[in-house]
Amino acid sequence: MKKQIKLQDVLRMLNHFVVFFLLAGFVISCCTMLFVTILSNTLGVEMTKENISAAAKITFLNVIFLSLLFSVIDEIRRRIMISKPTKRIIEAGEKIMKGDFDTRIVPLKNNYAYENFNEIIECFNKMAAELGSVETLRTDFIANVSHELKTPLAVMQNYGTMLMQPNLSDEERVEYAKGVTLNSKRLAKLITNILKLNKLENQQIFPMTADYNLSEQLCECLLQFENVWEEKEIEIDTQIEDDVIINSDKELLELVWNNLLSNAFKFTDKGGSVKLLLSSKGNKIKVRVEDTGCGISPQTGKHIFEKFYQGDTSHALEGNGLGLALVKRVVDIMRGEINVESAVNKGTAFTVTLQRSATDGLEKMDE
Amino acid sequence: MFKILVVEDDKELNRTVCTFLNNSGYKAIGCLSADEAYDAMYENIFDLIVSDIMMQGVDGFEFARTVRSQDNEIPILFMSARDDLASKQRGFRVGVDDYMVKPVDLDEMFLKIGALLRRAKIASDKKLEIGDFVMDADEHTAYLKGKEITLTIREFSILYKLLSYPKKTFTRTQLMDEFWDVDTASGPRTVDVYMTKLRAKLADCESFEIVTVHGLGYKAVLK
Repeated sequence: MKKQIKLQDVLRMLNHFVVFFLLAGFVISCCTMLFVTILSNTLGVEMTKENISAAAKITFLNVIFLSLLFSVIDEIRRRIMISKPTKRIIEAGEKIMKGDFDTRIVPLKNNYAYENFNEIIECFNKMAAELGSVETLRTDFIANVSHELKTPLAVMQNYGTMLMQPNLSDEERVEYAKGVTLNSKRLAKLITNILKLNKLENQQIFPMTADYNLSEQLCECLLQFENVWEEKEIEIDTQIEDDVIINSDKELLELVWNNLLSNAFKFTDKGGSVKLLLSSKGNKIKVRVEDTGCGISPQTGKHIFEKFYQGDTSHALEGNGLGLALVKRVVDIMRGEINVESAVNKGTAFTVTLQRSATDGLEKMDE
Repeated sequence: MFKILVVEDDKELNRTVCTFLNNSGYKAIGCLSADEAYDAMYENIFDLIVSDIMMQGVDGFEFARTVRSQDNEIPILFMSARDDLASKQRGFRVGVDDYMVKPVDLDEMFLKIGALLRRAKIASDKKLEIGDFVMDADEHTAYLKGKEITLTIREFSILYKLLSYPKKTFTRTQLMDEFWDVDTASGPRTVDVYMTKLRAKLADCESFEIVTVHGLGYKAVLK
């Protein structure tokens, strides 16, 4: 590796020498010819062939000497002006690669000579700061994930230990077993959501768009909650426009509807009502999910789309704080919009606005 | 007693599913790979197969395809950790009857197996009996308390479908897609007309009723 670099250096220097030689040769020839012509014209001196060839040889040597001199000066300038700052930047880059996001490069003192480099350094420092903040977010995320993962595990472990105790009554046994089952379900749901979110965030997702019947999809999604509304005696109100066709990714949008509806049913108490509306106007399609649940306070409202944020910890057992983050991500991918209106103790309404054709915007981006 | 074949390469999971099914009144035999399953099928006749997808050697898709090429009737239930639409589509394309995503809720599995077996029976008998109401798919006839009820072919098909999947709600579009031509000019509300007619014809029937679900669709509820 080192030898290669040496060879490259030699080639580079040779290259510079040739450039300087040609440049000096050209400049000196032009100057000499001009000078000699004017001189011989004014003085009327006739030059012999020997005179010219002798002068040409000296001039040629002179050109070689001058270009050599230029090359050396240029190389020295390079060493001082370019190699030094480059080395600093490379060293800092290597540190960041190793995970040290606190690294910053000290700007070079002579701002006049190093102006461009200082610009690069400033940009580099900004990048390092950004990377650092992303890293903090990631650590928070990991802390959240491990907490969420470990809690149900701990609960299951405890119930398992309790089940091993002798002389348990049948009711106790069933209760502990239920605890294990419930928490394993919770864990399974969490893992599924983490994996989905991870897929949506880290992979370059290309939505698989096709024309399909959105009205039908909403009906089918709502019907999945039939047991829930029967059990909780929730009133259902639907205003779904017939046969609304959308060009979008069916599987991704299903995530949105399922999460919004499951939230609506989760937070609506017995005897409440859930409303599902679908309307279209021109190129815009609007889906609205309303509930008469506990509502969201304005402070909470700001954070609901963040990962692992849960407004109401008393519902913690049923959710994992990832549902709305997923929803937001999908709506963003589809270039749609999502809005929340809510009043505490009155209810919440989510409105998703989508383009009839999700790919319109995407194609423009590609171009 | 119904015999169920469980193909799942995880020993623990296989054991729990088999134990659960055995305790629930079925006879379950567990196999850890598709090859083992082929051997078991050579020696036994099964009524239903529960299979994993990701297995060493022959995978679930291949296994289901091979089984389907031999037997067109036997219900196959996939259970897999893969929850993407592509896997589900692939599964249904090779001919599985239902799909469950791991971790599987055993109670739900019990319900699905019951429904699959009942449907398999309906499919093989071509006959459906609910209380005093009888439908014969070969003859396209329906009898209520021994008296024939005249139904059009489409009315018969819709009713047969609803009664094959009791308590499951079908949306208007699902029914339209199945029983009307693709290029039909009539909208989903046409289904409502058929339901009104069916209800009128079955007014005397006490063993089930057709219920409208909040403007979303229809289901048959057994009494």
